[in-house]
Amino acid sequence: MTRVVRTAGLVLALLWLVVPLAPVLVWAGAERWSFPDLLPRDWGVSGWREAASAGLPLALLRSLVLGLAVAAVATPLGVMTGRVLGWRLTGRPRMVVALLLVPLVLPPFAVAMGLDVVLIRVGLHELVSVVLLLSVVAIPYTAYTSATAFARTSPELEAQARALGATPRQARLRVVLPAVRGSILVAALLAFLVGWSDYVVTLLVGGGQLVTAPVLLGAAASGSGNDATVAAMALATVAPPVVLVTVAALRVRGSGRTAPADRLPEPVPDHERMR
Amino acid sequence: MSGAAPGIVAITVVAGTGMAAVVATSVGLMPLYGKPAPSLDGWRSAAPDLVAGIGESLLIALPATVLAALVGFLLAALMLGGGRAASVVRLACLAVLAVPHLVGATSVSLLLSDGGVAARLAAPAGGDGWPALVGGPWPVATVLELAWKESAFVALVVLAAVAPGHRMRMQVAAGLGARPVQRVLRVLVPTAAPAVGAASLVTLVYAIGSYEVAWLLGRAVPEPLPVLAFRLFGSIELTDRPAAAAAAVTGSALALCVAVPALAALPRLRSLSTGGAP
Repeated sequence: MTRVVRTAGLVLALLWLVVPLAPVLVWAGAERWSFPDLLPRDWGVSGWREAASAGLPLALLRSLVLGLAVAAVATPLGVMTGRVLGWRLTGRPRMVVALLLVPLVLPPFAVAMGLDVVLIRVGLHELVSVVLLLSVVAIPYTAYTSATAFARTSPELEAQARALGATPRQARLRVVLPAVRGSILVAALLAFLVGWSDYVVTLLVGGGQLVTAPVLLGAAASGSGNDATVAAMALATVAPPVVLVTVAALRVRGSGRTAPADRLPEPVPDHERMR
Repeated sequence: MSGAAPGIVAITVVAGTGMAAVVATSVGLMPLYGKPAPSLDGWRSAAPDLVAGIGESLLIALPATVLAALVGFLLAALMLGGGRAASVVRLACLAVLAVPHLVGATSVSLLLSDGGVAARLAAPAGGDGWPALVGGPWPVATVLELAWKESAFVALVVLAAVAPGHRMRMQVAAGLGARPVQRVLRVLVPTAAPAVGAASLVTLVYAIGSYEVAWLLGRAVPEPLPVLAFRLFGSIELTDRPAAAAAAVTGSALALCVAVPALAALPRLRSLSTGGAP
């Protein structure tokens, strides 16, 4: 690929990836932006003020709690499943994989709609119900992430710790878990994102009582809020996950633990090339 | 299996109970109030909307998946080139992946609607005005939003699958005399095909079940199945509940009908990349 084509490709790629989010960034700082002006005539924070008075800080706090709760439930369950898959400890790996695909294939709104009727009869608290359902949605991500990490780590590690006198619990918590700590953090991050970003399950099962940042944004974006307020809510909703993921990605690169995908294989000597 | 049990049991109980309840609701066996009375009234009343809903769901999901797969592959190809450009694009893809679809839909609405940023950019050119990309006769904005976000997912999946040994494969192909275009078409494309297929399947199934993007950016009629189901579910008429459940069951069946044959075909797709018989 020539340098010009690569540069053009990079520009087009960044345009495709960044432009769709640009309106939120500009609108969030706009005070007055009449059509057909290309930029706001006045800049200000009235959108943020209105968003705050509509309950944005509390909604963000609820999203944080929901994300952390989903991560707290889905991460250990996913790690346990990932250990079994990654170390091939089950005689039925296909069945485990097939069941892990279920939350990815079935639309969450359909499962939520059915569970809503059941949960109303059981009388479970809305937050508990939403955490339960979103944790199930997140388990495939945490399980597959952990499975990849366990597949890269020898099961001998646990056996060696046991041979040195560790109890099964000590061997797992003090030897195996530190070895796969990075992937567990990624799994927890993915589960957090599922909880933080969800809209439809929170609205359906939460019955409108659990007003998280996406639920507040959805209500404003569907008609009741002005563009600056909606943009402020959107920016406040998108910033934490984007910052978290970016920091995590930079930390992984900075620590030198790049994926095998990034490593350059040894060049093939000329005499070994096939003719 | 015992170690996997808690997670698997949670999935089985929650998904199984949810789907069983939604099927039971659709046939009148789980009314919100009153005694169960088996009936197909929900299905009958929703039937015309269900047919239109299947069409609209596919009209959104299929183009979004094709576009996401195409752009995702090109993004991955760019990242496979390595260097600083690859790092920047990878970081941008990760950031897009972290954006909630609702935020993406909100921003795309501010970009493509009548008074949006794109309409402002086009205004000096005059013409017949800005086309109705949001809420118009074709689900353009819905497709673009889904394709935008899912293309980042496809790109990262393809990158993870293809990058190990990529340079070596390209060097070997070059050593064998393959031109750049041949290296892409006969080495990179077959190597990436299984990952593109798997990521596209996830995208397609997700797009079929996605609610908020079509709800914010789509037209009022016909509604895709999730939007139809959600509207009926929130209706003050309790008799609409079985119809809502029927739409939810139809959406799930559509996702399964797409996913099961595709999952069965994926190993064949993989064999293509290794030169094996399909």
